[in-house]
Amino acid sequence: MRRRHIALLAAPVVAVGLCAMLPLMLDPYGLGIALNLLTWIALAESWAMFSGLSGYISLGHAVFYGAGAYVTVLLWQVVPLWLAIPLSGLAAGLLALALGWPCLRVRGPYFVILTLGVSEFVKYIVISSEAALGRNGRLLIGTPSLAVLFESMLAVAIISMIVLYVVRSSRLGAGLLAIREDEVAAEAVGVNAAALKLVTFTLSALIPGVVGGLMILRSTYFEPLQAFNPTTSFTIVTIAILGGSDEVAGPFLGAVLLVLISELLWVRAPEVYMIILGVLLIGFVLFVPEGLLGRAQRLLTPAKS
Amino acid sequence: MDLSVLFSAQLLASVLVLASLYALVAIGLNLVYGTMRLLNVAHGELVMLGGYAAYWAFAQWGISPLLAALAGMVIAAGIGGLIYVAVVRRLFRSPNLLARIESNSLLVFFGISIIVQNITALAFTANSRGYSYLDDVIEIGGARIAANRLATLAVAGATCLACALFFRYARSGMAMRAIIQHRDAAALVGIDVDRVNVQVFALGFALAALAGALISMSQQISPFMGFPFTVSGFVIIILGGLGNLTGSIIGSLILAAVEVYGVTLMSPSFRSILVYGVFIAALLLRPQGLLGRSIRAR
Repeated sequence: MRRRHIALLAAPVVAVGLCAMLPLMLDPYGLGIALNLLTWIALAESWAMFSGLSGYISLGHAVFYGAGAYVTVLLWQVVPLWLAIPLSGLAAGLLALALGWPCLRVRGPYFVILTLGVSEFVKYIVISSEAALGRNGRLLIGTPSLAVLFESMLAVAIISMIVLYVVRSSRLGAGLLAIREDEVAAEAVGVNAAALKLVTFTLSALIPGVVGGLMILRSTYFEPLQAFNPTTSFTIVTIAILGGSDEVAGPFLGAVLLVLISELLWVRAPEVYMIILGVLLIGFVLFVPEGLLGRAQRLLTPAKS
Repeated sequence: MDLSVLFSAQLLASVLVLASLYALVAIGLNLVYGTMRLLNVAHGELVMLGGYAAYWAFAQWGISPLLAALAGMVIAAGIGGLIYVAVVRRLFRSPNLLARIESNSLLVFFGISIIVQNITALAFTANSRGYSYLDDVIEIGGARIAANRLATLAVAGATCLACALFFRYARSGMAMRAIIQHRDAAALVGIDVDRVNVQVFALGFALAALAGALISMSQQISPFMGFPFTVSGFVIIILGGLGNLTGSIIGSLILAAVEVYGVTLMSPSFRSILVYGVFIAALLLRPQGLLGRSIRAR
């Protein structure tokens, strides 16, 4: 019994150790793909923490990603990076607190459209203020190496997975699941829905803030249309649908599948990549609504008569 | 700046042209939401396809965009019916998908949207295109307006009026309104809901394509022009009330006025901020719409 526990603990440690050594094994191209994968894992796990558990589908993750990127760019060579990146996450969290306060009062389709609207609203404000400042994009020179970014993103992705796991198995997670099933009933049995939603919404924005900060160091060029691109939000939702679960493994599997497909197709024709993304999205919603993880679990458990 | 410009016939004409186009887009979007609770985020793509149909017919064969619009509408109606039969019926069939129909439809239509955009980009390149048709300027009552914009206003306005009459007097128009009011009750009194749903898709998509053909006469078109129209459409139907068709026309006038006057008073770069600002304010302050039909919280 004790041995099995040790094995269960050792497996992730070995896996993480192997991942951490990837920069030594892969060429820059391969490492770039691995970084990409970690980025989507981190984003999708953090999205699942709020939207997956509460059922409030947010199309607002792009705004937190963009805000993190913007803050990192603004703090570039003002404060050291080890401070700027966490501050970017914090700024995204504060933004989520400010936006969540009014937005979380509406439900269902209204919430979905509102998060997209707010996200675009902030994007255009940043575009206008950058234009007013006379800045046509900002270039970052002397950013950290790919290996450093990879190790940082690995840490962020692992934290994102652990946070989802912890939240999911805590009282907070139980409250969110109750809200997802029936918000009115949850409140009736004493779940403080408003507070729970706001706290988790804020928590789930910290990760995309940090990820946005790291990824702007990778692209070395800040342009609001790109940083706040709503495609980021839609891709995260697609990953969640592909994975099909709010368990830690769901978004993970979804991200692996998406990155795998995009690597097979992206380089050759971006339009074809987007078309495949659309086909996958429709196909999974219609034919595999339980997602990869749900399908796998159903296949693995023997059918009950 | 001279504030009297705000009361000029010029700006009023701009508001009316824009509002009539918005109304075409919003009525279709609202019909699809009202009858089936589907969030059709691919609606703007039909506007774009209508624009390309008119552009193609004019550039290739010199056919008037006003005539090509008719062909575009027929094609769009066909696409609408096809999407209903191939995709939406499937959504309705599974109880799990039906339980969260709004979110699921949003994802499916987003998929359709990016597929249509990128197929168009592959077929016609991602560049903007335009042509000039009826672009001589006409002066009416102090307003100087291009003939193509005047034609837009006439055609779009007449179509909105025809729609209003259709919903009031035609049997299938009344059936659509009945389903918006209460789907189950409508089915109980003998309305073939499935058939009306097909008609809703065909009509909504055809109106969007008409709007696109009209827009292409005075603006550049591109494969990615649809999304702003989808957004404007949602702003309008939230302003006017989801499922409320009269509200959509009033909402179109409000949004067009905010946009035209806002851009005149400030600068064109504020357009998106204004539209999204109205959007957020409307959702937060009156999610049930200005005309106040109460909604069920889900």
